[in-house]
Amino acid sequence: MTTSSQVRKVEVKPNYENVAWKWMRYSGIALIPLAWTHVLIKDIVVGVHAIDLEYVIVQWSSIGWQVFDILLLAFAFAHGMNGLRQVSFDFIHGAGARKAVSWGLFVMWLVISAMGAIAIIAAAQNHLANL
Amino acid sequence: MTSLVDSFRTTMRGYLTYRGREGHLAFLLHRLTGLGTLLFLIIHIVDTSFVYFAPHLYAETIELYRSTPFMIGEIFLVFSVIYHGVNGVRIAVVDMWLPHKWTLTAQKNWTRWAVLITIVLWLPAAFIMFRSMLVHNFGFGG
Repeated sequence: MTTSSQVRKVEVKPNYENVAWKWMRYSGIALIPLAWTHVLIKDIVVGVHAIDLEYVIVQWSSIGWQVFDILLLAFAFAHGMNGLRQVSFDFIHGAGARKAVSWGLFVMWLVISAMGAIAIIAAAQNHLANL
Repeated sequence: MTSLVDSFRTTMRGYLTYRGREGHLAFLLHRLTGLGTLLFLIIHIVDTSFVYFAPHLYAETIELYRSTPFMIGEIFLVFSVIYHGVNGVRIAVVDMWLPHKWTLTAQKNWTRWAVLITIVLWLPAAFIMFRSMLVHNFGFGG
């Protein structure tokens, strides 16, 4: 009788799905410090009643927090959108339909990521210039 | 179109009627918390980008987040982020470093631990957020 404790190793040629599989695991682990720190500070310690435009501008005047938020944006949103792609494949089986959904999600990811990244990089500078 | 509806029904029936106990529930909760967090994340990235693109609108969206329904939603959001993280670490660690732990008995235990750790981390966070809601939205003394 074979037991499930015997692990069979198989060499897999890297392809998109293989990279995406690894991405979900590594980005997921990176998101434990990134997302949890973000939630701990913003939702629990500071709280939504203490957050306003000034708070965000001050935060983004710091290069350290800009880098933190860019990393959080990059890891969290790409993790989430690829997760949605995987869930959608449970319901969509045709190769053509899967391709269309993947491209749609990719464009959505690109546009929203760009919006977030531009705001993180430019908001503080823009605000200072307008003072 | 019929095939799309059939496919949806078949997949949903599988999701709901598969009787895999801990593993099944962990899977469903992982999906729900992931999709819920993503839905919020999309809205959150866009509204936060208003700080640059439409600063005058940012105050209005923050006002929405301060409302009671959103603060209750926030408590569930934090649950989702904690559970998805703890359960995700379980999956990642076993997949990548401890594949011999992919056994039914081991993962039943790991899943129970994941839920327990989630609740232990979530309760104090939920308490603080609920208290903040009572103080700010219902005038309880801070």
